[in-house]
Amino acid sequence: MRKLLSYLKPYRDRIALATLLMAVSAACDLLLPTLMADVLDKGVYGAAEADTFGYILTTAGWMLGLSLLSLASVSGGYWVVYHVVAGYTKDLRSALFRKVHTMTLTEVGRIGTSNLVTRSTHDVNTLNEVISMLCGGILIIPLMFLGGVVLCMRKDLVLSLVILCAVPLLIWAGLLLSKRIEHLWEVADEQCDRQNDLVRERLRGIRVIRAFDRERYAHERITDATHVMAENFIRANVSMEIIDPGAAFVLNAAALLVVYLGGLRMERGGGLTAGDVFAIIQYINIILSAIVAVSYDIVMLPHVRVAVRRLSQITESTGLEDNRPAEGLSFSGAIDLEHAGFTYPGGSLPALADVDIHIRPGEWVSVIGGTGSGKSTLAELLLAFRAPTEGTLRFDGRDAAEFSPKDIRANVSCALQKSMLYAGTVAENLRMGKPEATDGELWTALELAQAADFVREQPEGLDFRLEPAGTNVSGGQKQRLAIARAILKDAPIYLFDDSFSALDFLTEAKVRKALNERLAGKTRIVITQRVVSAMHSDRIFVLADGALVGAGTHAELLESCSIYREIYLSQTGGGAA
Amino acid sequence: MSSSGQNEKSKNRKEKRRVFDETGKRLLRELWPLRGWILLVAVLCLVLIGCAVAVPELLGAQIDKLYDWTKTRAPGLARSLLPGLGLLLGVYALQEGLTYLKYYLLQSVVSRYFCAEFRIRLSEKLRRLPISFLDKTPAGDVIDRMMDDVSEMAASVYFLVNILLSGFLQIAVIALILFFTDWRLAIPVVLLAPLSVFLSARMATLGEEHWDKHFELGGKLTSLAEEAYTNYPTTKAFNREEELQKRYDELSERHQQSGILGGFLSSIVQPVIALVNALAYIAVTVVGGWLILHRGVLIGTVVTVIFFVRQFSGPLESIAWSLGYIQHVKACAKRVFTMLDLPEEPDASGAVEPPVRGRVELRHVDFSYDPKKPLIRDLNMDIQPGRKVAIVGPTGAGKTTIVNLLMRFYDIEAGQILVDGRDVSELSRAEDRRLFGMVLQDTWLFKGTVAENVAYGSPEATREEIERACECAYCDGFIRRLPQGYDTVISEDSTAVSSGQKQLLTIARALLADRPLLILDEATSNVDTRTELLIQKAMDRLMGGRTCFVIAHRLSTIVDADLILVIRDGQIVEQGTHKSLLAQKGFYYELFQSQYAI
Repeated sequence: MRKLLSYLKPYRDRIALATLLMAVSAACDLLLPTLMADVLDKGVYGAAEADTFGYILTTAGWMLGLSLLSLASVSGGYWVVYHVVAGYTKDLRSALFRKVHTMTLTEVGRIGTSNLVTRSTHDVNTLNEVISMLCGGILIIPLMFLGGVVLCMRKDLVLSLVILCAVPLLIWAGLLLSKRIEHLWEVADEQCDRQNDLVRERLRGIRVIRAFDRERYAHERITDATHVMAENFIRANVSMEIIDPGAAFVLNAAALLVVYLGGLRMERGGGLTAGDVFAIIQYINIILSAIVAVSYDIVMLPHVRVAVRRLSQITESTGLEDNRPAEGLSFSGAIDLEHAGFTYPGGSLPALADVDIHIRPGEWVSVIGGTGSGKSTLAELLLAFRAPTEGTLRFDGRDAAEFSPKDIRANVSCALQKSMLYAGTVAENLRMGKPEATDGELWTALELAQAADFVREQPEGLDFRLEPAGTNVSGGQKQRLAIARAILKDAPIYLFDDSFSALDFLTEAKVRKALNERLAGKTRIVITQRVVSAMHSDRIFVLADGALVGAGTHAELLESCSIYREIYLSQTGGGAA
Repeated sequence: MSSSGQNEKSKNRKEKRRVFDETGKRLLRELWPLRGWILLVAVLCLVLIGCAVAVPELLGAQIDKLYDWTKTRAPGLARSLLPGLGLLLGVYALQEGLTYLKYYLLQSVVSRYFCAEFRIRLSEKLRRLPISFLDKTPAGDVIDRMMDDVSEMAASVYFLVNILLSGFLQIAVIALILFFTDWRLAIPVVLLAPLSVFLSARMATLGEEHWDKHFELGGKLTSLAEEAYTNYPTTKAFNREEELQKRYDELSERHQQSGILGGFLSSIVQPVIALVNALAYIAVTVVGGWLILHRGVLIGTVVTVIFFVRQFSGPLESIAWSLGYIQHVKACAKRVFTMLDLPEEPDASGAVEPPVRGRVELRHVDFSYDPKKPLIRDLNMDIQPGRKVAIVGPTGAGKTTIVNLLMRFYDIEAGQILVDGRDVSELSRAEDRRLFGMVLQDTWLFKGTVAENVAYGSPEATREEIERACECAYCDGFIRRLPQGYDTVISEDSTAVSSGQKQLLTIARALLADRPLLILDEATSNVDTRTELLIQKAMDRLMGGRTCFVIAHRLSTIVDADLILVIRDGQIVEQGTHKSLLAQKGFYYELFQSQYAI
């Protein structure tokens, strides 16, 4: 919470200015009825001095001036408020984004990508709305209230008590109600999510649903959920609608009380005038409209608690990565894993245990295993996303912990399991690992990755724009672009983590051939589930349930490793030896 | 929100600013079934206006008494106020009670109707839309229409009925009364009202435009964040955090800039109305003062008018808001109506005795997804009952097109598909599909129990039958190990079952459905070896005796197929048995060899 507020610090002066402007405007609004009462009291009923109408005109002039001042200051106030809110939101977003990229992969995984996204969008927006409400609308209420009470007190102490009691009572009732509504909204939101899921599920399964002729059933599920959701939604809305008439009734009743008490006090002869009573009624009216105007916003306040709690989880996260600057080291490509193991935080079994792998510079090795074998964890160790919890990982004989993660990553060029592309042109995506690469180099890399044809087909060529996360190209094309990007980057070590899975055998064979020609002499590590991707490499390491169960060439493993043989037979039917 | 949807919305808004265009009229027509309720609400509104008119009169009379007392100093002032104040309290109670009743009715009748009715209509529509539409349209877009757009529509129709009825009625009645009270005082008030509506509506509309931009950029910002967080490993691996941060900050900056104007403009709508209102106020004071002094008008009259001026501002504000809002509403409504009006899939009436033996013939079939790019030309095949047809080819070659045509997810352009000699276009789509069992690579489970999922194609199956099918498909074992066995609730993204087990469940589903023809799409990866063997065995069991179409990803599994169709770029380039194709030394041979190439 403190951290979130600290981003407001640079805007202190501007917030003060906005508050001042809002206060000026509120004061003007409150002075208007006072002047009007003056007109009626003095101008019309007062000791009929020489120029009564002149007095009326002068006062009207003042009223006009005040109205204009009010509009000017409130506009100025909002102008400042929205600048503050925009600045704050931008700062907060930027800080969150930066923070996420300093967190460890474990921490990112713990919070979850979709949670991170909701937090930096939905929760930030909530905070944004609330701050604009706080600086704009809600701030006016206490000002109006205080101003109204002060003006009232000037006229009559007893009458001011009415306002003094009614307004806090209303606010208290409003907060009480908002708590109830908060719950109703929560239920309504849940129903809405459920409805969303049902529609998404139906769209995803449209072929199966139609194949089994179950459209009616799918429709009925949605219909039922719709009725439940509409019910809850309406209940929440209807509860909210109490605020407006409820507040109006209380304040109007208060105004009646003022008239009656005013009558009593006037009879007593305390110097209270009819104009004063009239003015006080109008103050109540002004306060009422201010309250009604923000009553719908007040309901937002409970959402803030949730947003703040969730945002603090990011801003206060301590799972940060080693942030040493890169030293610009170059590795030779020798990698040694010595009894290396890794257990996820809170995991009971190790994901990798006692793995001994020694890779010589320039060697082409494969790591094969099924889901849950630990091969992805191995890739994460090599990219310094995780540090071994047991044993050591060495590059060029030096413990990986001695290097900045940035140096390690600069020396390992990779194409990862889920081919990660970014919104932007093909060229921009390829140049990530080598910003100075020429177009010629890009084309060579594309040729090698069997992606040149597809890029050439696009009218924009290298400037073909990819949608966010590359959603406008197929899975196979994504993988080939990622492979091209990895090839383009100059590094002593190349890591391909399950990055051929969407390619058919023919394409994969071509890619493999091109890679081995182009990257000869570099250390190549291919992590895969497919035996054809692994069988030709210098050495193959077989992982199963986190343990290294075999190492050697294809021929050796067929002899010695039953798991490898099993994989081989199931995938090829033993068609080639 | 999908970006295409956003564009459509903003484009729509730029084109039309008239309130009653096609969409506006249609929205009104949709209200017709609710006319009884709306009439009731209108009556409530009239009573409320009566209250609204009575209040200033009554209150003005009481204040008048206070002013009179200043002159007369007659005793018993407070007591004389009591009856009037009591009456006022009653009127206030009635007024606010009825206001709530009005909200309640509008919500539970109008909102409910729009919220539920339109969603159900869209859901019903979904049953009849061709798959080609759903393939082209991102799921997010359809969901947006069904959820957000309908919500917006419901909220806004509520809003509009409320404002049109009470707002305009109230303004009209008050204006009339003002004229009857004192036309000289009424003139400035009535003249200033349109000005305030015009100014504020203009600003609200301007604000909306900036909001549009703001939301559009917001959508981009979200997808950038989503991309960045899912791409976290790649970003780090390439040491590109700083560059990404810069892009994010730049977009965020633009996003916020558009928010400033939007927020500012919509925030000052209310103060602007307040200013115009204050002008009316001042005019009434000046004119009223002059009238009191020189024309002997009662001060109570002036006070009453002043109260009426305050009552004017409320409805004016809401009308101004709704004018800015109405374009937004219509954009949403239009998207909903567009989907409701989409052409539906034609279907034969069916009820023909469906074929059962399983001979499948394709005669001179032409098909393309895009008329400009012909895909299948004059495709012929004749498959005898019980035969196994394998379809092979590189990724993206169009292997699933065959599935789309057999299942009539897409319609052929020319030629015939015959099952047991009968043209399938004579059958209804449902009847046709009932001939096929289908196991797709992209497993689909809905949120429900394991038993419900397995029985998806045969809802009347008994528990014994379900369990037997599961045993055959090698899933009985793991199902029994689940916390609630067959009654465990699973869904698409449930982690209780692995992806291999999901595959087995879909095989059990097809086994239970027991259809004469079968379409199989082999699993590719993400399955451990042992499960893969089970899947293979289960599939073999499933295929026994049925005419099968197998989309093969591993050539090893189709060596024994009766017919292999080799597809490349949407064309069948070779067909034959494994042996004959290898002997051809063509594309199939090349594919097959590539498995073992270095």
